Amino acid sequence: MSEVYTLNRIDIPDTPPDYEDHARERHYVPAPCQVACPVGTDAPSYIGFIWEEKWEEAFEAITATNPFSSICGRVCDAPCEPACRRTQSDGALAIRNLKRTVMDQLGKDYVPPAVPVTQKQTVGIVGAGPAGLTAAHDLAVAGFEVHVYEMSDRPGGMMVWGIPGFRCPASVIEEDMNRLFAKCPGIKVHLNCGLGDGVTLDELKERHDAVLLTIGAWWGKPMGIDGEDDDRVVDGVSFLRRINAGERPELPETVVVIGGGDVAMDACRSALRMPGCEKVIVVYRRGPDEIPAREDELVGAIKEEIEFAYNTQQVSVEVHGNGLALQCVKTEAGEPDGDGRRRPVVLEGSEHDIECGMVIAAVGQTAASTHLADHGLMGSDRVDTSWESMQTSDPKVFAAGDGAFGGSTIVMAMNHGQRAAYYVKQALAGIEAPLPYRTPYRTRRVPLAQDIMWERFPRQDQEFHGVGENPAEFPEIESGYDLETAKAEAARCYRCDAETGSADYSVLHREDIFSMARTNPLDVNKNRAMLEKRLAPRDNPFPEGRSGTLDDLCFLPANLSRLVIDPYREACKVSTDIAGKMDIAQPFFVAGFDGVPDQVWNGLCSGLKAAQCGYIGGRNPGDGVDWLQMLDGSTAGDAKARGIIHGFGSESGRAAERTSEDQLLGIAVSRAQDVADAVKQALDDGCDFLLLDGTGGLGREDWAELAGAPDLSIIRNAIHTLREMKREEHIDLIWYGGARSGTDAAKLIGLGAKAIAYGIPVALSIGGQITHDHGIAFAADRSDEDRAGAVENILKAHAGEASMMARCTGKTNLMNLEPEDMRAITIATADATAIPLVGKH
Amino acid sequence: MAQVDLSRIEVREANELIRKCGEDGENVDVLNPDARHHIGVGLTSPITVRVHGSAGYFCAGLTDGARFEVENNAGWGLADNIYNGTVVVGGNAGAIAGVAIRGAEVVIKGNMGSRAGQVMKAGTLLCCGNANFMAGYMMYGGRIIILGDSGERIGEDMSAGDIYVAGNVQSLGSDAELTDLPADELDDIRTFLDTHKIPFRGTFQKVQNAGQKLRYGSAEPQVRSIPFFSFSGKTDYWNSKVQEDVYIKSQIGRYRIRGYGGARVLPHMTDLAFRKTIRPDLADADIAKQVEMETEIGGINGANPLKLSMPVMVAPMSYGALSASTKRAIGLASTLSGIAENTGEGGMSNAQRDAAEQLIFQCLGGRLGWNIHDMKRADGLEIYISQGAKPGLGGQLMAKKVTPELAAIRGIPAGIDLRSPSRHPDILGADDLVIKVQEFREATGYKLPVSVKLGAGRVRDDIKIATKDEFDFVELDGMQGSTGAGSAEVLEYVGIPTLAAIIEAIDALEEIEARDKIQIVLMGGFRDGIDAVKSLCLGADAVAFGTAAIVAGGCIACMQCHIGQCVTGIATQDPEHEARYKPDLESQNIHRFFESVRWQMAAITQGLGYTDVRQLSRDDLVALTPEAAAITGLPYEPEHRDETEAFAIKAS
Repeated sequence: MSEVYTLNRIDIPDTPPDYEDHARERHYVPAPCQVACPVGTDAPSYIGFIWEEKWEEAFEAITATNPFSSICGRVCDAPCEPACRRTQSDGALAIRNLKRTVMDQLGKDYVPPAVPVTQKQTVGIVGAGPAGLTAAHDLAVAGFEVHVYEMSDRPGGMMVWGIPGFRCPASVIEEDMNRLFAKCPGIKVHLNCGLGDGVTLDELKERHDAVLLTIGAWWGKPMGIDGEDDDRVVDGVSFLRRINAGERPELPETVVVIGGGDVAMDACRSALRMPGCEKVIVVYRRGPDEIPAREDELVGAIKEEIEFAYNTQQVSVEVHGNGLALQCVKTEAGEPDGDGRRRPVVLEGSEHDIECGMVIAAVGQTAASTHLADHGLMGSDRVDTSWESMQTSDPKVFAAGDGAFGGSTIVMAMNHGQRAAYYVKQALAGIEAPLPYRTPYRTRRVPLAQDIMWERFPRQDQEFHGVGENPAEFPEIESGYDLETAKAEAARCYRCDAETGSADYSVLHREDIFSMARTNPLDVNKNRAMLEKRLAPRDNPFPEGRSGTLDDLCFLPANLSRLVIDPYREACKVSTDIAGKMDIAQPFFVAGFDGVPDQVWNGLCSGLKAAQCGYIGGRNPGDGVDWLQMLDGSTAGDAKARGIIHGFGSESGRAAERTSEDQLLGIAVSRAQDVADAVKQALDDGCDFLLLDGTGGLGREDWAELAGAPDLSIIRNAIHTLREMKREEHIDLIWYGGARSGTDAAKLIGLGAKAIAYGIPVALSIGGQITHDHGIAFAADRSDEDRAGAVENILKAHAGEASMMARCTGKTNLMNLEPEDMRAITIATADATAIPLVGKH
Repeated sequence: MAQVDLSRIEVREANELIRKCGEDGENVDVLNPDARHHIGVGLTSPITVRVHGSAGYFCAGLTDGARFEVENNAGWGLADNIYNGTVVVGGNAGAIAGVAIRGAEVVIKGNMGSRAGQVMKAGTLLCCGNANFMAGYMMYGGRIIILGDSGERIGEDMSAGDIYVAGNVQSLGSDAELTDLPADELDDIRTFLDTHKIPFRGTFQKVQNAGQKLRYGSAEPQVRSIPFFSFSGKTDYWNSKVQEDVYIKSQIGRYRIRGYGGARVLPHMTDLAFRKTIRPDLADADIAKQVEMETEIGGINGANPLKLSMPVMVAPMSYGALSASTKRAIGLASTLSGIAENTGEGGMSNAQRDAAEQLIFQCLGGRLGWNIHDMKRADGLEIYISQGAKPGLGGQLMAKKVTPELAAIRGIPAGIDLRSPSRHPDILGADDLVIKVQEFREATGYKLPVSVKLGAGRVRDDIKIATKDEFDFVELDGMQGSTGAGSAEVLEYVGIPTLAAIIEAIDALEEIEARDKIQIVLMGGFRDGIDAVKSLCLGADAVAFGTAAIVAGGCIACMQCHIGQCVTGIATQDPEHEARYKPDLESQNIHRFFESVRWQMAAITQGLGYTDVRQLSRDDLVALTPEAAAITGLPYEPEHRDETEAFAIKAS
């Protein structure tokens, strides 16, 4: 896991030009699985898409960097999984099998959109293995026509010839190939066309603007021991090639496989499935903790009852009667050698024989091409290639994959292919000293899986079938996931790539802390790079133009200077009155629902009745709900209304009037510049309250609050005017606009409001959805009772929140909140509210 | 039989003599007590102490195993937090008699004041006369026996335990109910009365918890957090977060709860820059050895200070909010890095004590896990007044996390939604607080630093009070501080940012010329050595890291701490989930994080031209934003932003 936290993670190298890369973006850090993947697969995104059941999007996320989604979904050695952060807790995400799920769900006939040829230059590639075809894919996506010359009768290279069908059926390989060629019509494959006999290097150089050699490492290395020339001693890759060509040879009862890598695993498991074979023994010179085979393969082999002779080294092969005897010695772990692994040391007197009928040696592979050797391009066992440029000694000829850098995995070969494609493209563009290649890291910014069980689900294992009833037919060893299991597995993802919910521990901060925790204190380069990175300031979070907002007010808690009121237990009064005439259970009204459908209205009104909350608007909420009627100029005051509200300026010159003595009277004002006059008029007219409309549109527009943050200067100005007149106690202020929570209400009360009218939060509670054009849409998805209950709940929750704020500041009455209980954290908010800024006086 | 005469010697000296007698197994007579405070505090030997007169505050407080006999009356906080032993008062006892007791037998022959037995966990409190209001307030266990009448709201918010009243019950408290008295319990009471030779043959009514408020009603739907930038720092007023909050509240009818600190962007240390350009490429590998960083905290009034290898501590976090394995990992890391760890609320386990070389023991209003033995083995004592994440709120620990093990160490019933009191029973103002601080000093022989944890609010006033109350240092926690569970709205909107907190603290202390009278450990949202150095520049003596240490140790910042099913095994008490956490591995990670902080602090200090972190000053800083400038009073020099960026690009 530690290797993904290298210096590169802190000091990210530049992206190669023309590649989409998000590694420097503020709200994204490539996840460890993505960094561990040699082709930089955006695994978190495709896992997120799987949870959302967005299969085409998931396919795009996978195949943007990996044309072999089905093959890799089964047989990739998946370095992503050990890097997965969940490995440490309850097991890595089954990233590989989730990939397989995408193709299982999309279906084998899915055809991706095609990419046209747009370039004049063409590229010739020798070898249709993972390296060659990945390079062909990248070049084709860049618009080049690519000719791939393959010596065998089908494309796929080691994916076809090296991997037995029980791990990856031929049909699956064919599907991936078909999809690749459907996506990239610019790829022309020439089968049965080997280098030298089918086409020569000179011809390739003649036909194409660049040549890429991805010839693979097809030949098994000899063990270099006596007796290995017996024809019952074969090499692993040759053995697998025969099997994958369809042969099912009768094998002796006991077969020994030498080696501990993935070829050894495939060879031993293939041998076991052959007719006649009863027992397979794997001989490996180191211990079980050091065996390089992927754990899945190893576990599969063990489950299939293959025997393992660890700490055992072959010495010679001898003929024993009709069979063979593999002479061996035992070893133990010695001092670490150059690659950090402990060298096996032979134990004296441990010689012993293993009787068998056949020995398969899987101790490494080598490349060979006399044609290339004739051109002087071959090194000892591979094409001589520079890792920095992927070029051979011939500047027009590039090389990649196992044939250039030695035997490795499919996904490493694909990485080579991508790398080679990059340098080929640079060369074709005439760039002599290109920027060094780096795997690009993209994100598709997929939301988190909202499955509440994500913390609890264990790793969902695939069903394992083993050799099956007819082993020689190579039935697939494992099933994919069904939809439900796939989603459960996808939900487990930590989503290390995703932005967090906390600004102070954003993904960037979090990952930097994580890296700091994985830095050797003596690693000065990493320390320097980290310090440099951490010194970079963030953008100003409160840029000019950000208006004053309720968000940027905070309450000052009681501590020592005041006694805190226990918010869990001690009472805090929330009931109050308007002008001493109208008692209200909590300082809330609901406003702005005049235009809603009747069904919604009925639910709302029953909720208001139950919550003892009044309504402000033109529509009569009926008996049992106090109604403050807003007049719009054409309507007349209704005697049933508990109060009447005149719009300021709408009846200029006329005094606001009640319809009866005991009715409340108010004036609504919507513009900051009118506030002073409205206050004066309200006082002159003997009003009980002023309705301060922070949205500017109450009664004129539906859902006026959706326009944005309310204008807080209206309440500031109202208080200022009243204070100047020394008449603060003579009129109550009811606020409408942008109150989203009980906290917002508490802040507005602290600023001087007596009561708060809610709009949007109540609309959302009863099932309203905000539409794109600043409206609210209601669906007929709930009953009147549901709506009424939701109204009650949201008002209760908001009363609870408001009183919690009051108690935190040491108040036992919500109405006792005052400006002094608050501070602003931005200058704009301090200006808009006249609440002082925190910090320096 | 030894004698100590309080007309001749101070209580401090008397207590030392009493403890000495205790070691020698000799009983003590206290003469001329004259209602002095703290008599016998901290005694843990089974001797008898006879107080010939009246005792003041906290008589027999923080003791274990002794017998105290007070001839006349006792002041408030009688037998505070006593473990075992016996206290007999011949006259009346003041308010909160038997507060937070964890065992023992407390017998008051006369009347007792209000809130008797508040937050008691075990033991018996007997009042032969009448009890004033709210006896058994928030009690978690044990029994109170009242032979006379009880005042208003008896058993207010009790979680468990039994209250027996022989006289009238004036009124029941919230979530308390009256039941019949089982015969065996009456027998037990009579046995107890006989033991203490109280001739009472009447019968009792029983008051117990009604079980209505121990758990929240409907569960809050669990959702994974929305990225902060989609609701913060933008003008999208009715954003997805607002909508989610409304939907959920409209289902549950109450405020939401979550873990972590404030989620939105606030002015912070990153809005400041160093006046001088820092060149990381010039810092040596062993720079930490070239800069003087060792810091002592807590010794200014003569106590043994905490000796920090750098001015850094671990912020208080509880076993409870965090798993035992996580506390172990943090403790081990603190030892490896030579800094101090803090128990937070909820007691000190052996594992914590063993892991951390320097450990501060925190005392909260619920006195959960608080006791004299752990005080004595602590390296510092801390009175929690509030925390930055949720000042004004007590801790919340959802039932899922209140396992039997955890309940045992805290002395509470398992399986309740624990909502800790937000106020101390015996600290209702600055004057009480100073007496409480003295009690702690008396109990531990004035050897340990006593600190106060303060969530930043009215910092100017609060820090002056803390200074006058003779705390050795204050742990000042800005609103970016985190928590395992708290009301989401309080996390977001109560308190002031850390940046403002230190400015106001220093201003206030300079106003009263008391900067040298208290040390300040600043915390709340710090993530690296840069935040730390800026804090020191602004006047802090040290800083503390909480969440960052957790993140270093594997937290993925999913903010679901309150659920109790932490996927990484950090914020959980579920054994299956806790097993996911590897304390030995994570302690190394946390340690490396602190070493990285150390390297950064040293590199910057040297980069600014100094050899000692104490040379850092305000003049080393400039403000990059108008807000930061206005909050700190530092010059607004946004051009420093460009310098830093230009250098960053050049060096990469």
